[in-house]
Amino acid sequence: MVLQSSLKNCLQLSCILRTPKAGFRSTTSGGLIIQSTSNDVYQNLAVEDWIHDHMNLENRQVLFLWRNSPAVVIGRHCNLRLMRQKNIKLARRRSGGGTVYHDLGNINLTFFTTRKKYERMENLKLVVKALKALRPQLDVHVTDRYDILLDRQYKISGTAAKLGRATAYHHCTLLCNADKFVLSSVLKSPYKGIKSNATPSVPASVKNLFEEDPSLSCEMLLDAIAEEYATQHQIDHHITLINPADETVLPGINNKAKELQTWEWVYGKTPKFSVSACFNMVYKDSVLDVKVDLDVKHGRIEACNIALPEQWLPPALCSELVKSLTGSKFCPNETTTLATTLLRVCPQDDELHSRWNLLCDNMITLM
Amino acid sequence: ARKFTDKHEWISIENGIGTVGISNFAQEALGDVVYCSLPEIGTKLSKHDEFGALESVKAASELYSPLTGEVTEINAALADNPGLVNKSCYQDGWLIKMTV
Repeated sequence: MVLQSSLKNCLQLSCILRTPKAGFRSTTSGGLIIQSTSNDVYQNLAVEDWIHDHMNLENRQVLFLWRNSPAVVIGRHCNLRLMRQKNIKLARRRSGGGTVYHDLGNINLTFFTTRKKYERMENLKLVVKALKALRPQLDVHVTDRYDILLDRQYKISGTAAKLGRATAYHHCTLLCNADKFVLSSVLKSPYKGIKSNATPSVPASVKNLFEEDPSLSCEMLLDAIAEEYATQHQIDHHITLINPADETVLPGINNKAKELQTWEWVYGKTPKFSVSACFNMVYKDSVLDVKVDLDVKHGRIEACNIALPEQWLPPALCSELVKSLTGSKFCPNETTTLATTLLRVCPQDDELHSRWNLLCDNMITLM
Repeated sequence: ARKFTDKHEWISIENGIGTVGISNFAQEALGDVVYCSLPEIGTKLSKHDEFGALESVKAASELYSPLTGEVTEINAALADNPGLVNKSCYQDGWLIKMTV
């Protein structure tokens, strides 16, 4: 299957050859271009981790090409709460920076080097050079914020990086033909009343290269960039295909992919933040003011305060709720479970049950 | 006396407690620090263990423990003012204290 796709690429396009290779670690020094055969964001992020942790980059540099099926990817220190997730995979990467949306219309490029040779501007200029070689009329340039802009106004690429002990990587996105509608709806941040020191995500106007030139495809962009990289590093115009699930080529990789999917990593790494919200709850023919304050640390509610009109709900029940929430995960499912459990010990009182559900529904909208 | 690692972290020991920070060279290379991710008090660290990360406009950069010990204090000022690491890397921008 893998061989077929490499032949297909040869026939369709240019002079860049793709082959699967086991033991890619033993290639000659200078440079290496690899491409993932998987579209799973966790597996692909795991490959980055694996290369970062295990490859010796003293005498060579690596370019890793990858694409993901729909996923939202946040930076190491991003605050998850500031996002709206709609049944789309969510991943936290190990590099810094803000939030991006990936789908198959977006390509990801990771430039691996030693820590000393880490140089984002050079990498981005390489990408621009490749784009211009492919389509000379494209107006693309690199800003000093390490974005690539199309027509001087639309962001088509964002950058993030990680510096380790001896190695470093710089990765960036490139919008070819992504779904901008889904992108803007998942990256919208509707929540006010959040105080946090988390790395902010800076919103931008985006455009796909495909909108500028419909003859462009992701494969063409990947090839053009790989060719430019091969030329500049004076290596073979050759892409090695990598299967991120293959333990024989990448020992330990499946554990890395698993770790990236744990609650502790995705949600638990959210920097400490506080939420303060006032609800106007409409109940029968009155409007009630409720104030909720939450301190969340490592994805768990550290402190919680709920201020309700006196006697609207039994005080004992409310303080039980606050006690149960403290220490629990800041997560709608967890809160729903807690609320339902507490309600079971109450008498079958319809009035009580509807008031309780109203309060809990409102609390859950915060999460 | 301040001792430096080859990764540009420094440690200064007094009465069995070491204060850890990053060097001027390191903070310059890092650029403006926007976020400090530090360990919990009580975390046990071995020499070379990753104990946190600094995020700057350049990248997320890991921090490595210069010695073996237990974290006794973290610099709370960095939560609201991560730039202290750049402005005063040897004084107010210290990162953690640990037993040694």
